[in-house]
Amino acid sequence: MSLWVDKHRPKDLMKLDYHKEQAVRLKNLVQQSDFPHLLIYGPSGAGKKTRVMCLLRELYGSGVERLRQETMNFTTPSNKKIEIMTVSSNYHIEVNPTDVGIHDRVVIMDLVKNVAQTHQIDSNGQREFKVVILNEVDDLTKDAQHALRRTMEKYVATCRLILIANSISRVIPAIRSRCLTISVPAPTESEIATVLQLVCKKECLSLPNDLALRIAKSADRNLRRALLMCEACKVQQYPFTPDQKVPEPDWQTFIRETASMILSEQSPKKLCEVRQKLYELIIHGIPTETIFSGLLKELVRNCDMTLKCQVASYAARYEHRMRLGNKPIFHLEAFVAKFMAIYKKFMEESLGDMF
Amino acid sequence: MSDYPDPDEEYELMYADELELMQEQDALTDTNVVAKSKIAKRSLDFSNHMSSQPAPSTLITKTTSSTETPVTPNEDADTETIINSQSSVILQPMEEALVSNKRTADELFGDIEDIDFDDKEMPNKRFKSEEENDLELINKIIEGRRLRQLLVEPSNRLQGTNKPKYDVKGNMSYNIPRWAFVPLTNFEGDRIYIRLESEESWENNLNINIEQPSLHAMYANAWEEARKILEKKQERLIENENTEEVVTIEEDMETKDAQLWVDKYRPQSYVDLLSEEPVNRALLHWLHLWDKIVFKKEVKTKDPQQRNSFVKRTGQFQLFNKWKGKTDNEPELDEDGRPHHKVALLCGPPGVGKTTLAHLLAKLAGYRPVEINASDERSTDAFRTALQSATLMRSVLDAEKRPNCLILDEIDGAPLPTIELLVKWCTAAIDSGKKKTKSQPLRRPIIAICNDLYATSLRPLRAVALLVRVGGASVCRLSARLAAVCAREGLLAAPHVLTALATRAQGDVRAAIQVLSFIKARARAQLKVEDVENAAIGTKDCNKTLMQALQAVFTIDDKEPEAILKIVQAAGEYDRIADGIFENYMAARVDARMLIACETLSWLRLLDAISSWTMRTQNYSLYGALSLCIARCHRVLASRAPQRVKFPTQAQEAYRKKLELESIVNSVWRGSVPSVALSRNSLKVDVLPLLPYLLSPSLRTANVQLCSESERRSLGACAGALCDYGLRYVQQRTADGLYAFVLEPDINRLAFYGNEDRVRPPPAVRQAIARAQQLEIIRRNEEMTGRAPSTTTSDSKKPVESKKPATTMREQDAAIPNHMQRLKPKEVTKSTPQVHKDFFGRIVPLSQVKRQDALPDVISSSSVFYQYREGFNNAVRRKVRLRDLL
Repeated sequence: MSLWVDKHRPKDLMKLDYHKEQAVRLKNLVQQSDFPHLLIYGPSGAGKKTRVMCLLRELYGSGVERLRQETMNFTTPSNKKIEIMTVSSNYHIEVNPTDVGIHDRVVIMDLVKNVAQTHQIDSNGQREFKVVILNEVDDLTKDAQHALRRTMEKYVATCRLILIANSISRVIPAIRSRCLTISVPAPTESEIATVLQLVCKKECLSLPNDLALRIAKSADRNLRRALLMCEACKVQQYPFTPDQKVPEPDWQTFIRETASMILSEQSPKKLCEVRQKLYELIIHGIPTETIFSGLLKELVRNCDMTLKCQVASYAARYEHRMRLGNKPIFHLEAFVAKFMAIYKKFMEESLGDMF
Repeated sequence: MSDYPDPDEEYELMYADELELMQEQDALTDTNVVAKSKIAKRSLDFSNHMSSQPAPSTLITKTTSSTETPVTPNEDADTETIINSQSSVILQPMEEALVSNKRTADELFGDIEDIDFDDKEMPNKRFKSEEENDLELINKIIEGRRLRQLLVEPSNRLQGTNKPKYDVKGNMSYNIPRWAFVPLTNFEGDRIYIRLESEESWENNLNINIEQPSLHAMYANAWEEARKILEKKQERLIENENTEEVVTIEEDMETKDAQLWVDKYRPQSYVDLLSEEPVNRALLHWLHLWDKIVFKKEVKTKDPQQRNSFVKRTGQFQLFNKWKGKTDNEPELDEDGRPHHKVALLCGPPGVGKTTLAHLLAKLAGYRPVEINASDERSTDAFRTALQSATLMRSVLDAEKRPNCLILDEIDGAPLPTIELLVKWCTAAIDSGKKKTKSQPLRRPIIAICNDLYATSLRPLRAVALLVRVGGASVCRLSARLAAVCAREGLLAAPHVLTALATRAQGDVRAAIQVLSFIKARARAQLKVEDVENAAIGTKDCNKTLMQALQAVFTIDDKEPEAILKIVQAAGEYDRIADGIFENYMAARVDARMLIACETLSWLRLLDAISSWTMRTQNYSLYGALSLCIARCHRVLASRAPQRVKFPTQAQEAYRKKLELESIVNSVWRGSVPSVALSRNSLKVDVLPLLPYLLSPSLRTANVQLCSESERRSLGACAGALCDYGLRYVQQRTADGLYAFVLEPDINRLAFYGNEDRVRPPPAVRQAIARAQQLEIIRRNEEMTGRAPSTTTSDSKKPVESKKPATTMREQDAAIPNHMQRLKPKEVTKSTPQVHKDFFGRIVPLSQVKRQDALPDVISSSSVFYQYREGFNNAVRRKVRLRDLL
């Protein structure tokens, strides 16, 4: 644990850097004997996992930090062997059921049952229940979510679930209503800047405030990314200068380039080049939603106000369709083509007005 | 050995294609004789036909042609040699065969026998070029086939004889001929004179051509007349044949229900085959190449050049040429005497007679065909047993004890492992080891049959097999055969109807014959044009490939504007078509305002959404809409300008690359320690793109010992990060022979787009990092193992009072939580002094025992202890722990 992100992760609810009232409420929750299922949601890099680990520590003490990695094997009804990695301590187990794709239902059913059916042997442990942490619940198939419903009620005596999701819009209402939903909003830029300052202080470094703000700005309200970028800054150049170059993920730059290509010329030939770029992004595993939003953000920046609404509405429509289909490149390119068409029309009209 | 044909027969086997047909036909003599007696009078009007052909076509009227008596082979050969010595190409005395109405079948085939005889005598006739021999041979076979059709299939006469035929020998000459000519020089420099055809003969030809469907409308009247005449004739024929027909029909009736017509009229001999001559010969030749290893006799290796030139000369045997061209460079036999290709792969559309061809030729070449087709089990094990039993054993029950020839029908449906097994089997060398290995080499021919040569599972086989493409039967030959079948079954059918049927069937013999049987089954005595038009054949094989469909999408078809839907539906694979459209639409039309692109993409998006919905819910109610989406794309994109459509590969390529990078993410994800475990998405988006920056500390390229404190710390951080995320620097040998440290897995590929080497640390730094990482790993391991012992290390230093620490340790154990407790070996304590007993269980006094091992006792009791160690070292020994070094 030598990266700053990992090294300076708060371990105690009271030591969290932001959303402090929420932390207090969580602490109160633990103090009471009645601990419900939790559904924690928020954007990536907001600190969901940190809070969950703090919560667990609050529940069970430092024993939860002794983690071990295991692979578990399941057999689907169709006799297919599947394997999934779990991270567990004596008190909890954490899985990411979406790793096995469409077979996630089997994992949920078997795993939760396994855990729930064994009572905590160590009776002098503080709690009589174990905790199952499920990651990326919003990407679970509908089948798996339905399988979760009944399980949650049935084994409530021996096991609690903590579900972690990016957004609850894709979690079925039945599950939402069975959980206490806790939203973890992304930290603001100033909050990120303070965190960066704190971390640097711990590392005995001095970080200029301007640089901290710049990093926070380009980190897209993602604390993890901000910390990594800050450390990268340090590796590249120390002592810091306020105007030093902030290394950022290459894909962000790449999306920006793509957007400027789209704005520079609107023609089928350009569209071909853009397609190659889009393929490249997809190949590197950048989530297509991220590509969409990145492109939109960059494109809209150069647009007239009347265009902005139009483009945004198209983007929303196309992105929705993309989630229904499974060939994201079609939808991405369709959006680019549509934007080109609108933009070109707009440019021609405004030019026509001039003459 | 004795079971195999004796040397006398060998040659006959070699030319079995010609020889066998007569022997085969002996079996058929009943019907032939019957047929002949009735032909006798009708072949007269046939000969009239012949005489109505332009007279000047006969250059030399042979005297023998007028004689009714059969010519003995020897004489025939003599006359031929004489004629050949005159070095003019002449008509063979085949005309005679046409006129020799009164001959019996045996005599007729005796006539063909002399063809073989000619061949056998070949060495004697040096002056006669071998090419000419071959030419004659081919011509004779063709003639023979025609003759046979005349005999066996009486109603076919019109068809067969009216067929315009270009008579090479009558119309070409090496000498200056008497008729009008055009001189030409061939590639060998010989002068050839070709007949100028007179106008009347041309018109005659036109009249003959009447049966071609295209001219049908023009000659409708004449056609109708001809049909009437023919039908009348047919009736008359049936009346005439009443007696014989009854017998045959009764026979037929018995077997009718049991046997399909296709089987009933399966070709029985070589000349019956409907497939093209070169195809048949290619396969037969390949089968004969096996003779050496199967029948233990020498294969004539005269072939390559001779056949090749022959092919060049005639020109018409394109496929033959191709096939020879392939084997031209490589020897036909390998060092074991087996053919170069161990397997023949027949491919062609369904119904053209591939299976029939394989069976027949295998039989002709002296084998017993053993067939394995899709209805048999074709798992690897079952297939292996079948292979072994077919190729290594011989049937005991078969009276003739012929060797097996394995025919693998419908092999394109077989699973890939099976085919790989077959290929392995075939390519195994004949002497794969002195000792008895499990895999015996292949010693029997294997013929594989498939429809789709380019099926993915056939790829390994395609490389090693002899490819023989079987095309569909030509329309005229197919219609001739259909006419024969009709005649046998008593079904009235006008030739033009049959021609139409044959055209419709597109070479599919089976489909055509089944239509006939269907019509017959409806108790109809006559085949009409409407029947053919209504018959559902020719449309079943409307499979289109992906490329055809794509081409159709991008071109406007003026003739059939609505055809696109059909084509697309025939092609299926909508997803692939969508990919194809996606990759090609940019070039389709000029699209300055991007409107076409928007429109096309909107349809493609819809298609994608529908198809994934269909797949997800397994609900196919909207599946039909997919082809409509593509048809809409066609409307938007199609143009008249021809476009080169590219095969869609981008999506596949992207997918492959994505998997590759995905595997990098996976290995990082699996390798990272649990305390830093993240979801894969945040690894991909946040951590991995920035990690390379963190892993390239700016160090001076100096020895690590000389680094400053801060540098050493950054190095340590870097090593720690490497350990956290399961990365390693691995030493690899580069192309230029140097060793370089390479990051494994290579996250730079994932992090950067294009310029991967941008932030790679210099080699010296890499080496330093690698070293630091190794230390870090050791340190961590030490930490892991040292955690529990660290509490007891202090105890171990005072071994004297061993009792007390043990209890404290036990107390500690209780305090340690479960997961930290470790298993320890239980100490065995000696409670009672050991009692020595002798063999019978009596207790032996201790003094005796002591005396027995007095010597060791001295050593153990002594306080001074010396152990000899080899070698000499005067260094001071001292215990050093690893962690002191770190």
